Amino acid sequence: MAREIYAYRCRLCDTMHYPFRMVCKNCKKNDFFEFDTVPLPKDGTLLTFTRVYNLPAQYEVATLGLGIVELENGMRMLGQLEIDDPKAGMAVKGSVEVVRKETYDDFYGMVFRSA
Amino acid sequence: MRDVYVAGIGITTFTRLEFALSEIASYASMMALKDAGITEVDQVYVANMGAARVNHQTALASAVVDSLSLTPAGAASIENGPASGGSAIKAGFQAVASGMDDVVLVVGVERMREVNGLEATDFVATLTHPIAEYIYGVTLPAHAAMFTRLYMDKYGVTERHLAMVGVKNQNAALNNVWAHLQQEISLEGILDSPEAMTNNPYVAEPLRFFDACPVSDGGAAIILVSKEKAKELGRPLIKITGVGQATDTHAVHEREEPTDLLAVRKAAADAFAMAGLTPQDVDVAELHDAFTILEIVESEEVGFFPKGEGHIALEKGETALGGKIPINVGGGLKGRGHPVGATGVAQAWEIVTQLRGDGGKRQVDGARVGFTCNFGGFGNNVVCLTFEKEA
Repeated sequence: MAREIYAYRCRLCDTMHYPFRMVCKNCKKNDFFEFDTVPLPKDGTLLTFTRVYNLPAQYEVATLGLGIVELENGMRMLGQLEIDDPKAGMAVKGSVEVVRKETYDDFYGMVFRSA
Repeated sequence: MRDVYVAGIGITTFTRLEFALSEIASYASMMALKDAGITEVDQVYVANMGAARVNHQTALASAVVDSLSLTPAGAASIENGPASGGSAIKAGFQAVASGMDDVVLVVGVERMREVNGLEATDFVATLTHPIAEYIYGVTLPAHAAMFTRLYMDKYGVTERHLAMVGVKNQNAALNNVWAHLQQEISLEGILDSPEAMTNNPYVAEPLRFFDACPVSDGGAAIILVSKEKAKELGRPLIKITGVGQATDTHAVHEREEPTDLLAVRKAAADAFAMAGLTPQDVDVAELHDAFTILEIVESEEVGFFPKGEGHIALEKGETALGGKIPINVGGGLKGRGHPVGATGVAQAWEIVTQLRGDGGKRQVDGARVGFTCNFGGFGNNVVCLTFEKEA
């Protein structure tokens, strides 16, 4: 089964959220966990990006591409970029992969490549 | 609400300090206590971000209050990311304004050079969203870099403007003996010469080494008192007249307009409204230039210049000493250094120094109204303060 990253849709007003929050930012009325999960789209356009040279501890690569992507449903998310020469506005496609390794854990997140 | 005055200030050199965290805090506090001429306080607030994670120490305020032999005064630590300092001043202000306390010591401290640079970067990155940001390897320079790229595209800010902020603030630090960086830099050396890319490599494109503040240890302290106590102590009457604090989404990508810093805008507007001042009344300002872009953007969001025109004011020299609104004349975070928990208090220290007329070579002539902006997270928790000198 393909891994997904989920957005959270308020059951009262349909407002979508990513990441998860306890209270809907629009209606502010939902009770505990009154959200439906909806997989985030994987296609989108690159809004902004950077290449980081001073990485936090635990990364065993020299540099890391990061960007904020506007997904095709209008939501935004931050992800890692596997793109040599990123340009703002370019079409990208995401897949869910390991983005951080710690001693006992692998963390999955979205990695974007040129579409 | 009672009026609140700053009766004493103290600071340590911002650099790598080989002292225990509580000793750094105590050193700055002792200077502030001596400056105010007091040996007893009602309450201590210690602003700090990393004691638990970096220095393996919790309940720091209990250690500091005892080290200073101020027991049995009340004491509490305030951890609010890089806005810890401003938040602790707000807590101290509320304590005095409410009438509950007459004398409050607020001290900010950080010792982040105890760990290596990679760990320090990781420690600061823990303020980002754990699931949507932190796991990707996002650092604060990375957030600032992505923000900068949007700002460049939208408003025409260039790498030269960023370098100009860096040169202005780092060279301003030469007039501040407490500042971390004591090395003169030039646009030629960090931008124009063939060696510039070696001198000034990218840390997170388009931000370079000299666009970022250094990682520093240090402490800063202020004593807040009631009007009655301030008159009794006889120090210059510097009053905190406006306090504003505002928050924004934790995950940066959730903000509707990604080039806005709405928490800065609201915190500043609230502080000015409370003081009955306008941004144009300010004689000297401390903005939170952890990255050069932030000084430009904050100068717009707090209302000194229209949105998108901060870099033009910078070009005209309006933000330099002698300009219309001198910003970060003591070096800012860029030159003075950025021990995260101490920064908000260090900003207040600089403004009180200026309003007392003790700025020496960096003194803004006739400064009467001062302003600070302490920026936490990537703009998700901001404290702004106004200070006024009473005749």
